[in-house]
Amino acid sequence: MADHHVIIENLVKTYPGAQKPSVDHVSFSLPRGEMLALLGPSGCGKTTILRMIAGLIVPTSGAIRLDGRDVSSIPVYKRNMGMVFQAYALFPHMSVAENISFGLEMRKVGRAEREERVRKALDLVKLAGFGERKVSQLSGGQQQRAAIARSLVIEPELLLLDEPLSNLDAKLRDEMRDEIRDIQARTGVTAIFVTHDQDEALSMADRLAVMSAGRLEQIGTPREIFDRPQTDFVASFIGAGTFFEGKVAGPGVAAVDGLPPLRFVGEAAVGSPVRLMVRPHRLLLAGEHGQPNSFTGVVEHIVYRGQILTLSVRCGSRLLQADLPTHAGVLPQKGDQVTLTVAPEDVTLIGREAA
Amino acid sequence: MSAAVTAPAAGAPAASRGILLLLLLPGLVALVVTFLLPLLWLFRASFASSAVGTLSGGDWTSEAYTTVLFDPFYWRVAWNTLVLGFNVAVFAVILSYPIALFLARTQSRFRGVLTALAVAPLLTSSVVRTYGWMVIFGDRGVINSTLQALSLTDGVIRLTNNSLGATVALIEILMPYAILAMLSGFGRLNVQLEEAAAMLGANRLRVFTRIVLPLSLPGVLTAALLVFVLAISSFVTPRLMGGGRVFVLGTEVFNEATVTLNWPLAAALSVMLLVLFSSIILLYQRALRALEV
Repeated sequence: MADHHVIIENLVKTYPGAQKPSVDHVSFSLPRGEMLALLGPSGCGKTTILRMIAGLIVPTSGAIRLDGRDVSSIPVYKRNMGMVFQAYALFPHMSVAENISFGLEMRKVGRAEREERVRKALDLVKLAGFGERKVSQLSGGQQQRAAIARSLVIEPELLLLDEPLSNLDAKLRDEMRDEIRDIQARTGVTAIFVTHDQDEALSMADRLAVMSAGRLEQIGTPREIFDRPQTDFVASFIGAGTFFEGKVAGPGVAAVDGLPPLRFVGEAAVGSPVRLMVRPHRLLLAGEHGQPNSFTGVVEHIVYRGQILTLSVRCGSRLLQADLPTHAGVLPQKGDQVTLTVAPEDVTLIGREAA
Repeated sequence: MSAAVTAPAAGAPAASRGILLLLLLPGLVALVVTFLLPLLWLFRASFASSAVGTLSGGDWTSEAYTTVLFDPFYWRVAWNTLVLGFNVAVFAVILSYPIALFLARTQSRFRGVLTALAVAPLLTSSVVRTYGWMVIFGDRGVINSTLQALSLTDGVIRLTNNSLGATVALIEILMPYAILAMLSGFGRLNVQLEEAAAMLGANRLRVFTRIVLPLSLPGVLTAALLVFVLAISSFVTPRLMGGGRVFVLGTEVFNEATVTLNWPLAAALSVMLLVLFSSIILLYQRALRALEV
């Protein structure tokens, strides 16, 4: 932790006149070369954190360390961070090459070197030959690339991206997602991006920091966040799932209202209340009854979604959601009686570290 | 197949063009009656012979233009007008720029109120405001009596009845127009561009010189043009503040039309003013295109 490249310590931002802080004692850190996603619903404080790191907003308290050095008091223009704005913020009165060259001019880089580095940056984002174009002559995706080139050409300590894909249409978004990941990997720059889109965060980031109402809920790899959510918020914000309230009846067994006992893997004191979650794709069609964690019910609702079939199965008072692969033999119909099972290790105990 | 598809598509614009013309008709009629006809009449009048107080009929003569073009007095008047317009435009723009920039960039919830305050002087007639300046600048006005009471000056400092007074008063009177024109021309300014420049290493001065100033130039140019045109066509302020000693095209047209009753000459001077306007607007459009492309 202490040798991490970027360390955020107890960062707080309270706007004047506000009842509650927008960012409330948030701490996290990134090793060099990592890509971190700040994920959360709008208004959760993720953009405020990004702008505080950039120096565009002054924190109320807390520290932002780069290689151990607190940069909180360094003005924006001396921080040497690259930022890609949501609307790109390319300078409309300059050509693409002039836009990219701007940061180098500010650093008093000589003309010859500037031209060379601009050319390399254009190559990096696959915009070779577009240097003389006006910004208005570029498509949305090309503007995005130009903005990335402009922020990387200065060889920033840290690359910040504010909702980098939100202004692109669906197809371009997938393309740019891989592209950004690839550019970041090739340059090895440490990067933080803000998003409200969980798919974007899960697929692009090395680690995710999930935020809610100004607080950091959980930080971890995409797998940890998805499979081992530590809070109710994270469990319900990322992915779908069926939630169960219950009491621990014995070691690894929970008594759940309206269902047979649910087996899980994890430490929980007998008698204590627990919250459990099962992801829809973890529920499988069982061949026979009697396996642990099998639930028999009637299919109430079916949604066909191409690769998967989403079933809503009524088991007693509970409605279970299951995603079945559509290639799995004979598919159940509405009204069929089916038995679903889930392996104990696929039952997530919310709020506990993995056993 | 393709013909069947294109035929109605080709018919639709023709029909909507008809409707468009119909919608334009009232405006066009009003413009012809109130603008084009008087303009033609003015043009015709400038070629009439100079009988006092009348336009004598059918003959065409370039007498008025001969007077305008060969009398050095009118050349001086034209020059005075240009100098006045230039000075007023430059200073009104310089003084209005920070105000307009502030109004365009502020996040304050009083922004609307402040903008209204900035242009509120337009609610009073420029005649009233000119008299206001006479009260301040007059020989026994606020400035002179204060200076004398403090024994800072012996005599009277002449601030009215000369072009200085006219210039200062016009600057203040035309500033609201400059502010409005700049606000509408600052559309490309955007706080995020300033932030982006700062992130790239530009300090506040450089953000201003490299981003804010270039992006605000179209607004500055529009404001300068508007103020210049309003200043060179102004009549009340140069007349009152100049006390008859400031000769500009506006006051000369008035003199010839109502005092000397030489209507052809007044018309010829008006045409001259018109030519001046047109050439300046042409220049402006060229400059704007160069800035925005």
